[in-house]
Amino acid sequence: MSGDSGTSPPVPSPYPQGMIRPRDRDAIVQSLRAGVVPRLGHQHIQVGRALEVKALLRDVDRVADGGSSVRFIIGEYGSGKTFFLQLVRSIALERKLVTLNADLSPDRRLQASGGQARSLYTELAHNFATRAKPDGGALASVVERFVSTTLAEATERGVEPAVVIAERLGSLSELVGGYDFAAVIGAYWRGHDIGDDGLQSDAIRWLRGEFSTKTDARLALGVRTIVDDANWYDHLKLLARFVRMAGFSGVLVCLDELVNLYKLAHTQSRNGNYEQILRIVNDSLQGSVAGLGFVLGGTPDFLLDTRRGLYSYPALQSRLAENTFAAGDLVDYDGPVIRLANLTPDDFYILLTRLRHVYASGDPAAYLLPDEALSAFMNHCAKRVGDAYFRTPRTTIKEFINLLAVLEQNPGVTWDGLIERVEIAPEANPDLLPLPGAGEQPPGRDDDDLSSFRL
Amino acid sequence: MTTSAASGSDPGGPGVSPVDTVALLHPDVARWVWEQGWTELRSAQTEAFAPILTGDTDVIISAATASGKTEAAYLPICSALATTAPLPGISVLYVSPLKALINDQFDRLDRLCEHLEIPIHRWHGDVPGAQKAKLLNDPSGMLLITPESLEALFVLRGARIGALLGGLRYVVLDELHSFMGTERGAQLQSLVHRVELAVRRPVPRIALSATLGDMRLAAEFLRPGAGEAVRLIVADDDGGHVRLQVRGYRTTPPRLGGPSLQAALEAGDEVTSEDTADGNELAIAGHLFETLRGSDNLIFANTRSEVEIFADLLTRRSEKAKVPNEFFAHHGSLSKEFREDVETRLKDRTRPVNAVCTATLEMGIDIGDVRSIAQIGAPPSVATTRQRLGRSGRRGDPAVLRCYISEPEVSSKTSPPDALRAELVQTVAMVNLLLERWYEPPATGELHLSTLVQQLLSLIAQHGGVRPAEAYSALCGNGPFGNVSSAQFADLLRALGAGEVIAQDSAGLLLLDVRGEQIVNHYSFYAAFSTPQEWRLMSGGRQLGTLPVSDRQPLRPGSLMIFAGRRWRIVGVDPGPRVVDLVAAPGGRPPRFQGSGALVHDRVRQEMLAVYRDGSVPAYLDTTAAELLTEGRRHFAFYGLDDRAVIDDGLESYFFPWAGDRVLYTIAAAVTAKGLEVSVAGLALAVVGADAVEISALFGELARRPAPDPAVLAQAVANKIVEKYDELLPDELLAAGYSARTFDCPGAWKVLRDFA
Repeated sequence: MSGDSGTSPPVPSPYPQGMIRPRDRDAIVQSLRAGVVPRLGHQHIQVGRALEVKALLRDVDRVADGGSSVRFIIGEYGSGKTFFLQLVRSIALERKLVTLNADLSPDRRLQASGGQARSLYTELAHNFATRAKPDGGALASVVERFVSTTLAEATERGVEPAVVIAERLGSLSELVGGYDFAAVIGAYWRGHDIGDDGLQSDAIRWLRGEFSTKTDARLALGVRTIVDDANWYDHLKLLARFVRMAGFSGVLVCLDELVNLYKLAHTQSRNGNYEQILRIVNDSLQGSVAGLGFVLGGTPDFLLDTRRGLYSYPALQSRLAENTFAAGDLVDYDGPVIRLANLTPDDFYILLTRLRHVYASGDPAAYLLPDEALSAFMNHCAKRVGDAYFRTPRTTIKEFINLLAVLEQNPGVTWDGLIERVEIAPEANPDLLPLPGAGEQPPGRDDDDLSSFRL
Repeated sequence: MTTSAASGSDPGGPGVSPVDTVALLHPDVARWVWEQGWTELRSAQTEAFAPILTGDTDVIISAATASGKTEAAYLPICSALATTAPLPGISVLYVSPLKALINDQFDRLDRLCEHLEIPIHRWHGDVPGAQKAKLLNDPSGMLLITPESLEALFVLRGARIGALLGGLRYVVLDELHSFMGTERGAQLQSLVHRVELAVRRPVPRIALSATLGDMRLAAEFLRPGAGEAVRLIVADDDGGHVRLQVRGYRTTPPRLGGPSLQAALEAGDEVTSEDTADGNELAIAGHLFETLRGSDNLIFANTRSEVEIFADLLTRRSEKAKVPNEFFAHHGSLSKEFREDVETRLKDRTRPVNAVCTATLEMGIDIGDVRSIAQIGAPPSVATTRQRLGRSGRRGDPAVLRCYISEPEVSSKTSPPDALRAELVQTVAMVNLLLERWYEPPATGELHLSTLVQQLLSLIAQHGGVRPAEAYSALCGNGPFGNVSSAQFADLLRALGAGEVIAQDSAGLLLLDVRGEQIVNHYSFYAAFSTPQEWRLMSGGRQLGTLPVSDRQPLRPGSLMIFAGRRWRIVGVDPGPRVVDLVAAPGGRPPRFQGSGALVHDRVRQEMLAVYRDGSVPAYLDTTAAELLTEGRRHFAFYGLDDRAVIDDGLESYFFPWAGDRVLYTIAAAVTAKGLEVSVAGLALAVVGADAVEISALFGELARRPAPDPAVLAQAVANKIVEKYDELLPDELLAAGYSARTFDCPGAWKVLRDFA
């Protein structure tokens, strides 16, 4: 990773330069080919959106200073929300924050009664990432680090470690649900002290929300509660205070695919989830939590639809209403909502140059395509699917990488013949595609008019 | 282990000894078979082993009740499960129409599965939540479920359905015949199709069915579009015996009627149903009481008022005899509490109980096996009669059906259809067809639009939104609603959008709107069928009565209908409160028997003609019924119906096409459009003020023109809303769906051309 991101925001230069490490290159290429956002090397392919990045950088700094923040990243399907979230996450990791990220789904919600909220917490705890472990799974090492900083402080002050532990746990106990949380950390410390690995791993499992019954938790750790649907948010707050004790600056929670809440067909559960969002927004805007930031990604419908979106919940509508002065050319990046502008064709052109650059591992001599091929590719895509190709770049990027792969592995082939063969299909739900071999559509069926059907 | 050897040629046939076929099975299953002490397996059982073990084809096993269909399917299925290690998730999905049947199968399979260590679960409305939670945590083995609970799984756990059913190897559909041609059947087809979409591969469908005349229809129902590839296994050995009786009664007046009733009421005497019921009704109630008391039986009547009368008469008889009442009414107009009380009694097998019920609530009555079936009045169809019979005679007992038919005395005022004893002859025809194993084929051109609406809403809830083209492809294009064109589907979406049932987000995804959420979030959403409400018939502010709920006759303002022995003109139809306004219309003597509601099939009317022409008296008729049949035949000869189709009868003429109700309704609609006064009079058309010559001329003229568009005929019909979500449909689709169900233009025009 290039070291510059530590001091200034990674505002991209218009043309790519510099070598790309093989690890970053492979991560980027493989992820994009699969249609997912890479976990590494975002700075190499970030295009545009400098002001948005700056705004989020301020959030990260505020959380690192013991403050709180909440931002809604709103953009169309495939407009790069997930990519943006990952970029923010990587910045936060650089700033010594712990990041927790998860995609919401019908089975992972902010509020539920059937374990779906606990399931979200488990996923977040699973993706508990630090700079040293950017891919997650860092909870145990943070707890371990808490213990070692405690020992260091004890040595420094010349007191028994148990005294420092007691002080620190006392401060945790003040928070809601903090008593048992402290007891579990205490259990981990005991395990550390007497060399009981089982106790330690039970404590980590409890912190990850992996105990499903209170009985099991009581038998293993002597605590009467577990992380459940009702208290998972309190546990996030506890984690935020806890990681600061362990020497980190705070916690940034990245929640993506909030559109899944919008799609919930059950009115009461949808409103329950919005109520949870209201709690989060209130806590952040009032600054009543320390060192905890939220970044939430969703579509414009999810935010704006007054029938089933966040705006259907009056208390949220008044808090999240966009600044009416920031219309036209005027912008306001300080509100809780950031609208991700769609990529322009120019942005998209730069993105293609960057992909070409990454694919060649940063060596301009190894570029597989000349500049005019990039324009030809864009023209071709525009003909196939219209404006959608740069508005929702996911599939277009995937096809571009596929094209590069073919060119790389078939040295004799020229690009101009291949570009005509690039197929870009509109995105579809894979679970609803006809089964292979099951009843081919009779020719002449006019369901094309349904693909562009509007009510 | 033996599956590869089993894929050879047909191993079935009566000569196969159990040793050869059992050898196909997994050793543990084979040992279990021996432990049961079964010395021989029936041919249907052995024949089914190889194709099911191979698991690459759909299979229908059809046999009589209690002939071991269940074992024929489950021995090889369990064997296949025991042979190969299961994938994560449910391996076998068993869908059954009745909770009682699920509980029954659960008990039978439990022992075999316990032996093989295959987990077995049941899932329906009465299964406690803890058991369901356990299954969701660790989905595996067999799941026994109702279509409605499966629907609920899709709606409430749509995101997990793929994982839940990930290891699916077989879908077993029990009582397949009871689903065919119904809303619930269309729902089942759609659910099974959606299961395959969710697991991303076709899964062999194993169906258990009663033997039908044309098994290809069942095959096409099981795998729409590819029925010819379904393996059919039809058992010859007739496991179950059927015992039938058709009892005839002559209508006699009640003890108190007309002036004497008035006098009794004025004198303040207590008047009970026993005083006002017809003498034949008292006699039927008496026979029911004597024969059915003390065991579990279902008593079907064709209207709700008949249900009320007979339940009341039977209750009074119980009181008089000072015995606990075992007879309870059950129909859609009763309050929910009352119905649930009856259903609880029906489930409690420690005390005998007899339910007096209407046809449309059959689906709702979840009762497994009964001793016998009683049918008051002509049965609605052969198919429903077979289904009802299937509920009796399990566990090796014979299936018992008793039909009670009343016919009026013939006088100079009797109309020709009554003189022909149409109700009795229709019953005889249906029983004959039942014995021939003929069965009304499920209507093939039906659109099932109401069920399509339900499936669309369920699909949206399952996926949290679908694109229109995907929904069409999943449900219609490659799915079970193949008769619906994409243009019709688009119309449907627009109407649902206008009704705030669905909405579309900016990415084109269809989502539930306010009304759609209300519908889907209510527990009643999971059933594709609903309890229809009766139409009330009013004249001058006075209620004449109600139409049977299953009555599908088209109600058009201005046209004629026959009710309560009189002819009426329809002045207005109000679909909201379901009221029909009538004024008395002039004309001759309309027949009393108007059919039993459901549409009578062409084949039944043809069989009726054959019964009239035949001279023999079936053995299942009692003395009175045999007399009535002879009378009917005498009148048939008297009218000379053997060689002419139109007879003059005073003010009107009767046309006997010997065709089904759909043909009659179509011709009636076409003739009404020509300005003639016509009404459907049971098995005939009664045309007022036209003699045989005029009718012949008119029909000749109609026959020369091309058959009209049935949807145009349906336009003027005011009672098109029949199925659960019909009210959400746009007018043109409603007309298309209605005409597909009710009219038969090609059939009608064939009749007209043959006549001309």
